Amino acid sequence: MPIRLDPNLLPSLLTSIQQTLQNETTASQELATGRSVSQLSDNPAAAAALVSNFNQSSADDQYIQNAATLQARFQTADASLSNVVTVLTRAITLGTEGANGTLNAGDRQAIAGEVKGLISQSLGLANTTYQGAYLFAGTAVNTQPFVQDPVTGVVTYTGNATTTSVQIENGTQLGENVPGSQLFQNASGGVFTSLQDLYTSLQSGNGIGAAVTEVQSALTQLSTNRVFYGNALNQISLSDNFLSQDKLDLSSQENTLVGANPAAAASEFSQAQTANQELLAATAKVLNLPTLFTYLPV
Amino acid sequence: MGGLSASLNIALQSLLAQQDGISIASNNIANVNTPGYSRQVANLVETPPVQFGHSLFGTGVELQSVTSLRDSVLDLRVNQETQQQGQLNAFIGGGQQIQALFNQTSGTGLQGPLTAFFNSLSQLASNPSDINTRQGVLTAAQNLASAFNQTSANLATQQRNTDLSLTQTVSQVNSLTTQIATVNGQVSAATGAGQNAGPLIDQRQQLLNQLSNLVDISEINAGHGSLTVTTTSGTPLVVAKQSFALSTQASANGLQDVYSQGADITSSITSGQLAGEIQIRDQEIPSIQNSLDTLAFSLANAVNTQSAAGTDLNGNAGGNFFVPPAAQAGAASSLAVAITDPAKIAAGQDGSPGDNANANALLALQNQNIVGGQTPLTYYSNTIYKIGNDLASAQANEQSGSTVLQQLQNLQGGVSGVDINEEAANLIRYQTAYEASARVSAVIDSLLQTTINTFTP
Repeated sequence: MPIRLDPNLLPSLLTSIQQTLQNETTASQELATGRSVSQLSDNPAAAAALVSNFNQSSADDQYIQNAATLQARFQTADASLSNVVTVLTRAITLGTEGANGTLNAGDRQAIAGEVKGLISQSLGLANTTYQGAYLFAGTAVNTQPFVQDPVTGVVTYTGNATTTSVQIENGTQLGENVPGSQLFQNASGGVFTSLQDLYTSLQSGNGIGAAVTEVQSALTQLSTNRVFYGNALNQISLSDNFLSQDKLDLSSQENTLVGANPAAAASEFSQAQTANQELLAATAKVLNLPTLFTYLPV
Repeated sequence: MGGLSASLNIALQSLLAQQDGISIASNNIANVNTPGYSRQVANLVETPPVQFGHSLFGTGVELQSVTSLRDSVLDLRVNQETQQQGQLNAFIGGGQQIQALFNQTSGTGLQGPLTAFFNSLSQLASNPSDINTRQGVLTAAQNLASAFNQTSANLATQQRNTDLSLTQTVSQVNSLTTQIATVNGQVSAATGAGQNAGPLIDQRQQLLNQLSNLVDISEINAGHGSLTVTTTSGTPLVVAKQSFALSTQASANGLQDVYSQGADITSSITSGQLAGEIQIRDQEIPSIQNSLDTLAFSLANAVNTQSAAGTDLNGNAGGNFFVPPAAQAGAASSLAVAITDPAKIAAGQDGSPGDNANANALLALQNQNIVGGQTPLTYYSNTIYKIGNDLASAQANEQSGSTVLQQLQNLQGGVSGVDINEEAANLIRYQTAYEASARVSAVIDSLLQTTINTFTP
């Protein structure tokens, strides 16, 4: 005797209909959201991996934003230093003129006057601020770093020699500043002392040549240290490229982790739809199947 | 030899027996859609023959008994599988609510606030003297703290809700065991009286199946059709016609424990909805809560330690950044930012406003193994994985279990289900036999008439 089958087919059919409906919903959800993982339980490993993906992508955004701040600051610093270079070059020209023996005292006084102007100009440049912070003060950014004694005219540095660095991408630190002492001061005097010496020598007419040499050495030092900002700007733009690429990679990784395959989802959807319709048709037929009663005379 | 009147008797008995058959077929058809109904069959038997001379003569047919067709082993298997499904469904229901709290694709969870906090430190490092940037750090930290607070509070709410639903489940169990005890008494009485207890057993099986959805049970045959129902660990639920109610009592942590006759049986409940609820309430939620606490506690302490190593915008030594958590337990729900003045954030180390050395050190915490030997984010993503994986495996088990249950129910239907065609055929068989018996009695009647008329003057 064959095994008796469950005469009530409905529960199995309804379960299957529910299953196809669920497949349909899943596929259409994938198509609508573009994601194959919308809940942690859909793919726990991918959901967990997404945590670091989102974190890195967001950190990259922050690096890019930080880079913009740094870039503006570095550009301001570089522009200021470029102006100081112009000032020093002018001072050298003036000194060379002043050293010409044919000039009289009055001419030299006039030149000295211009040099005095250059001193205060370079003092202003050395005290450049960006968003209220002094750029060449080391880390003592809230205090004016270069102060001139009103009586002696001597410029002293009140900043510190601390350099800072900042992370511009994962694991890459970029030096952030050159302290004013390193830019404007050296053993033989530096920018302000040399200009002051030039001014004094022009006034007295003695030792102008030596003073010009001092200015030249200050210029060399400044130019050498100024390179830092050029390099930093360069590095920021390199890092910007890297970060943009990294974000693209992360986004493609995200897509691999949780993105839906639209073609596959569409085909799943249409398969589920077909299956659902066929099942419904079959169920309708099963429900309408004649029984023995149909053929019995009333 | 029987004689005409004996034959008439046989025909009449047959009419009665066929009528019983028709009545059973029609009852089967009537209950074709009744849940838990087991089809019945009429057991027709020959009545004892009589001997005349050397020959045995049949004396007709009678309805010996009515049997409800059921397979008690299948019933047990269905109940066992139902217990598994009850547990898994309760766990899945709870798990889905939990995972909604950690769905970063829809903007919940802690990854966003954690990342934003470290990003604000990254910004601080690039502009340590800017007061707006500093304010940004405080805002990000407050967002992080409130994300911890809210997630933890939501978990606690869900734990209380589950606790409430557990109490309701216990009262459903009690209501079912009371009904089962009553029916059990009836089954035993009917069986004792030699009656067909089939419909009562159907009812009892239906109730046992509902009970199986709620709690793990074990059924022991106590004789005379009576069942003793216990939990699988042996706590009595129904003995004969008496039921033993479960109760709930608040434990030290304010959550309800399940008691039976003064003994705490909470941990011995192994399946059914009750077990699923206990699992969510006592294992899943506390485990996630503990992960959040560990994360909040370790992060707050690490940030505070680093903060104390630095100097603020005014050159003073740094203080606590977060309010130091009193203990690891409850750290997530109580996490709070201690600083209100953005100048007090210890971004530097040399006391000057432009120094970012400590901001860099604070930022570096995100890549240090400060939480249970892992970085904060790795620890968090492992927590996420566990939440998702616990639910996913429960769902997978539920799916395969429901296939098994469906198959068992199909098998059960194969034994007990009413087949309309079969009943139609039976109906015709009985109808035909009934009509034939009626004809037989008419024939005998006519024979008797003939006999009587022949001998009547």
